[in-house]
Amino acid sequence: MPQTADEKRSAFEREALPHLDTVYRVALRFTGEPAKAQDLVQDTMLKAFRSWHRYETGTNVRAWLLTILRNTFINEYRKEKQRGPTVDISTAETFSLFDKVQEEDPEGRFFDQIIDDEVLQAVDDLPDEFRETLVLSDMEGMTYQEIADVTGAPVGTVKSRLFRARRALQRRLYDYAVEMGYIKRRSP
Amino acid sequence: MTAEPRRLECTEVVENLYGYLDEELTAEVKAAVRAHISQCPDCFDHCQFERAFLRFLEARSRAQNAPPELKKRIFEQILLDRTRDA
Ligand SMILES: [Zn+2]
Repeated sequence: MPQTADEKRSAFEREALPHLDTVYRVALRFTGEPAKAQDLVQDTMLKAFRSWHRYETGTNVRAWLLTILRNTFINEYRKEKQRGPTVDISTAETFSLFDKVQEEDPEGRFFDQIIDDEVLQAVDDLPDEFRETLVLSDMEGMTYQEIADVTGAPVGTVKSRLFRARRALQRRLYDYAVEMGYIKRRSP
Repeated sequence: MTAEPRRLECTEVVENLYGYLDEELTAEVKAAVRAHISQCPDCFDHCQFERAFLRFLEARSRAQNAPPELKKRIFEQILLDRTRDA
């Protein structure tokens, strides 16, 4: 049954708009800049509103919105973004932060000393597919299946990307913490 | 009677720690990891450490909410949108 314009608008406001903060946070990590993130969110929400008839009531609206966000980013924004990742993923798997700090700080208390900007920059410097997986999981709390639905990757790939992204991030934050004097470097 | 959980080596537990913390393991593997952690101080510490790391990551992104002016713009945009979509 077709909705009237008012019904559509109120359904969208009720179901989609509560996810605006999530959409914005993910957009920030995708674009790396607040102004671009705002444009991306605005484009995403307008597209979502215009294709609201394709959203099936009762299904995962957050994943649906983030899929639109991701497609919009890839098709219209990513090419503008010129920043190469600086985090090396290829050797991340073998790094274990716990092994490095186990003796000195097994509870990870030094995490509290790391400023937000440093953490977010480290996330931003991950290669695209690792960054999006980590952001959706560790910043937005999505399940492996939800992330698979949004990114189009198989669940097994989501799992292995997440493992490597977390380890790569740990290595980067370890180097930072050592440099800042929060912990001592431990030879391998 | 419940079956004894399968015995795991420390390396297997470490490989499955994220799956455990993310609640993405099958019931059987989850029980095996839990049983191991409850008896192995090293893996227990490692698990607590990774949990702290994930909490730290989550906490660092939460402060960033959509700016009020963006919310306002989106409300207006939707209110004014006249594109037919059927
Ligand atoms: Zn163990």
